Amino acid sequence: MRHLSILGYYFAQYIKVRLAYPGDFLISVFTSLAGTVASFGFLYILFHRVSSLQGWAFEELLFIYGFNLVCLGLFNVLSMNLYEFGERYIMEGRFDQIMLRPLHSLFQVIFEAFRIESFQEFATGLVVVVYVWHKLDLPLTPLDLVLFLLRPLHSLFQVIFEAFRIESFQEFATGLVVVVYVWHKLDLPLTPLDLVLFLLMTACGVTIYLSVFVMLSTLSFWFEDRVGVSPPVYNMIAFGRYPVTIYNVFIQFLLSWIIPFAFASFYPTTYFLQRHEFSSFFALVPLVAATFVLLALLLWSRGVRGYQSTGS
Amino acid sequence: MNVTPYIAFARIAFLKILAYRLRYYTGIVTYMVNVSVYYFIWKALYRGKESLGEFTFEEMITYVSVGFIIRTFYFNNIDREIANDILLGHIAAKMTRPVNYQWMNIAQAAGESFFRLFMFTVPTALAILVVFPLRAPASPYSALAFLAALLFSFMVFAALNFLVGTCAVYLHSILGLIRAKYFLVEILSGLLIPISFFPDALAEISRWLPFQLISFTPLMIYMGKFQGEQLVTSFLLGLGWTLVLVGLGHWFWRKAATKLTVQGG
Repeated sequence: MRHLSILGYYFAQYIKVRLAYPGDFLISVFTSLAGTVASFGFLYILFHRVSSLQGWAFEELLFIYGFNLVCLGLFNVLSMNLYEFGERYIMEGRFDQIMLRPLHSLFQVIFEAFRIESFQEFATGLVVVVYVWHKLDLPLTPLDLVLFLLRPLHSLFQVIFEAFRIESFQEFATGLVVVVYVWHKLDLPLTPLDLVLFLLMTACGVTIYLSVFVMLSTLSFWFEDRVGVSPPVYNMIAFGRYPVTIYNVFIQFLLSWIIPFAFASFYPTTYFLQRHEFSSFFALVPLVAATFVLLALLLWSRGVRGYQSTGS
Repeated sequence: MNVTPYIAFARIAFLKILAYRLRYYTGIVTYMVNVSVYYFIWKALYRGKESLGEFTFEEMITYVSVGFIIRTFYFNNIDREIANDILLGHIAAKMTRPVNYQWMNIAQAAGESFFRLFMFTVPTALAILVVFPLRAPASPYSALAFLAALLFSFMVFAALNFLVGTCAVYLHSILGLIRAKYFLVEILSGLLIPISFFPDALAEISRWLPFQLISFTPLMIYMGKFQGEQLVTSFLLGLGWTLVLVGLGHWFWRKAATKLTVQGG
């Protein structure tokens, strides 16, 4: 609960920063949305020429892509600081500040910055709610915050929630629209159980992305490098947008068991698309997510324990 | 125009990036990943088919791979750099320099591209060549024309980025705009899929836009699919669009510079 309300403050703070220039913000939302729509261009043009990709129809691929965007959008909102972790926190020495605060360090790093631009209908609504909430000074008072800050909290929490990339909500929203469209178009069954499973799978997907990139950021504790290895791994997310069966054995193995992006986008969708040949993989999704988040937390606390300030 | 200062800008950009060469090693992996994704997609699509459109499977893989290889050369971040100059106020000091701001940026991008050619393009090309079966240029004549066409790839890309970057004078954050441009260029330049595969209406629109010059045109020249008269037309288009876009950038910057507000710096 305490973490949740602090998260609310981090978020509201960031919204205020971004809404300082409301016109810019709107143009930003619109242009990032245009970008997301254009990113579907490849699939659209491809299927203008062919009718299926190794037995997978356009709508099915659209569904995988859409689901991928839902998880990726949420992940992108949060991930901004993870890419800059090595430079901002380790090399510039900001991590000292994080360590002094009674919050989990990862929580701070992740939630210190959000990506705002791509708020969409649903997401814009959220901004307005938070903004009004803050403006009217509803439940949460500064006094509460001070009281919360005095309590010991996990450092991981601080790192993650110190930065958001709110514009990535736009990806989330676009992904959701696509998923709903395909669901309707293919006349897929929709029971309450499916809905619960969908939410669970989304949570697992976001968890897997966060865990992988937290682990990569953790490397900055030992290796001082500005860029790190995140960019090539980030590009590998694209692999997960297509049925894993089109890849060779090596890449299938890599995507399933080493960097489990297939468990964050392709395998979760197979259940909803009624591709039951993958059902054992689908069942493993929560397990993979749990395993990776544990690994990430373990690695993170090892890194924190060995952290030596650069002194700047 | 005295070119000496611009050569100096290019040289400094080259040296500056040399300090960050580590980043290019991970860059090679990134490009390998990109090419691999599209390799497997096309492989699945070509299963049991001799050719799609006017491309055989080997030709398509060559198209995609060479497309990503040349992207390592023409790519630059002029738009981001201008936005940063404006945001951080460095722009004030830069505008006091007795040089043309647009050409200064293009010269810096050229220095960067020259660096990329040796430290990024060549290693990426070698890595891709080892893994994927690429075809050589259709003929020595095509190879030469291809290299010449790369000049227009660079110029069109740089001039477009300058235009996008200049928007930062009016907008405080152009990250969304940069993102939209990124995906538009990826599709409309024909990097991901040849323009001849586009639905007719979109292909027709693309023919009237400058994006094709970035990727599609040099690649078609490489593969010998643009020859003779079509080759001449391509070069004229390249020259024309370069002049138009650089001219547009010049005009837009002069207009924007009067509206420029610098906060600090």
